[in-house]
Amino acid sequence: MKSGLRWVVAFVVLAGLPFLLGSYYNDVYRKMLLWVTLALGYNFLFGIGGQVAFSHFAFYGVGAYSIVIFLFQLNLPLPLAVLLGVALCVVVALAVAIPSTRLEGFYLALATLALAQLFVVVLNEGGAVTGGPGGIANYRLPEIFGLRIRGPWYTVVIVVLLLATFAVLWRLDRSWFGRACRAVRDNPEAAAAMGVDVARTKVIVFTLTSALAGIAGMVYAFVDNTVNPPIFGLDNAFLILFMVIVGGAGRHAGAIVGAVLLFLLPFFLAPLVGHHHVLVFGILVLAAILVAPKGLIGFYDALRRS
Amino acid sequence: MPSAVLEVKGLSKRFGGLTAVSNLDFEVREGEILGVIGPNGAGKSTTFNLIAGTYPASSGEVFFNQESILGLPPHQIARRGVMRTFQHNRPFAGMSVLDNVLVGGHARFRAALWKVVFGNASQEETVMRERARELVEFVGLGELQDADVTMLSFGQGRLLEIARALAGEPRLILLDEPAAGLTPDELERIAHVIRGIAARGIAVLLIEHDMHFLLPLAQRVVVLNFGAKIADAHPDQVRADPAVMDAYLGDHAAAR
Repeated sequence: MKSGLRWVVAFVVLAGLPFLLGSYYNDVYRKMLLWVTLALGYNFLFGIGGQVAFSHFAFYGVGAYSIVIFLFQLNLPLPLAVLLGVALCVVVALAVAIPSTRLEGFYLALATLALAQLFVVVLNEGGAVTGGPGGIANYRLPEIFGLRIRGPWYTVVIVVLLLATFAVLWRLDRSWFGRACRAVRDNPEAAAAMGVDVARTKVIVFTLTSALAGIAGMVYAFVDNTVNPPIFGLDNAFLILFMVIVGGAGRHAGAIVGAVLLFLLPFFLAPLVGHHHVLVFGILVLAAILVAPKGLIGFYDALRRS
Repeated sequence: MPSAVLEVKGLSKRFGGLTAVSNLDFEVREGEILGVIGPNGAGKSTTFNLIAGTYPASSGEVFFNQESILGLPPHQIARRGVMRTFQHNRPFAGMSVLDNVLVGGHARFRAALWKVVFGNASQEETVMRERARELVEFVGLGELQDADVTMLSFGQGRLLEIARALAGEPRLILLDEPAAGLTPDELERIAHVIRGIAARGIAVLLIEHDMHFLLPLAQRVVVLNFGAKIADAHPDQVRADPAVMDAYLGDHAAAR
């Protein structure tokens, strides 16, 4: 199948599905798609770029909060609010990446962990601007060309976001840039000897994936029409990491499988073990690291080869 | 006489009180294989790393194509056309043989990042992929182009290092002890490949411990001892030089 046609088929199937689902399952479905989008971006940063960062979910929050603040606190028009939101993510990402990627990986992990924590503090202490601990609610997506997009139609927007994110990452991965990222991950000194600007490559990957997370956050802001600090805490930052590790770091398919599996798992586990599903997650992650370090996708590849 | 691609003038490197490289002068010309030999600790690897930009020099100058490259970071030196191999193979372990070679061509890609995402960079990708494939063939790893690099033997890994460096379209290639750890068959193969590189007009700077490999291969040999140059001559003259014999060859022969 030609690759253009493949994208069209993927769109039709993914965007058609919400019209067949009831409103509860539509809600589950679109949140799953958002997790897949985030996991794809985080896989590029962590799995392909080799950067251990915990800020991905915080950037999702920066995007979500900034669009809401720009639209409803500052009353800016939607296109401008989107542009400013992306710009804010880029500026924050550069501010974190430029100093910390010049150091060894451990410092990036620390710096991004600090950023993720600081972000939640800012949200809680932000007063009227961020709505404090209660966040901001009771807003809705402005009309676009006189149309109010809602219900399954908003899920179509999320499908577009997912496929656009995937397409960008897919094309980057299959280019000199994707190879440079992997080279930097595998052996920075050899990468430099091949003409790769290691620091620059790291900063670009970090900034780009953080901006993509921010854009996903902007879309998320109109899923529940509320943004509040607990959503953007560290639990979810670690969940993304687990999704990518369990699915198979460095592979798009791994990120997709991991995100779908770990997102849906609580729905199946909750009736059985209640809130102990976190324990099952822990075991899964340990099992992935010990038994299948290349994740479920690596496991699947090994099965197919043998 | 072909022009000098690389000129090293008065190059020195001190680590604290130790002078690893002392006031070194030499040049490498287009299409020439220049061997640098010396006993362990003579400063061969340090010299190599100074030229490649891995360490800063204490003093001296290095000109590549008449331009000073000393003090530039390694990736910029590579971009200008100085490519290197590593003494201990350093493949990009998560990638195929062909993709490893394509990383070597990193600096030769022209398509900007926005074009990769929104435009069409596939034609360049196809051309570069074809070139990489030719290089994999050239070093004799043709059948392994899609293999994971972790499957390669040590000798094959050495050939991959060379193919990867050639993908950067160098005017000068720096080979760091390419013979170390190879079997006699592999040595013959790698000597053949190195001659092929020089035949393409690329200057070859070959650092080597094994003089039985180097002397038949090099057109000129620089001998280092305690960081200083003690000879710069045709391999036959080097063989007959008593100072060299004393410093290195006798010592080496005794070690065999």
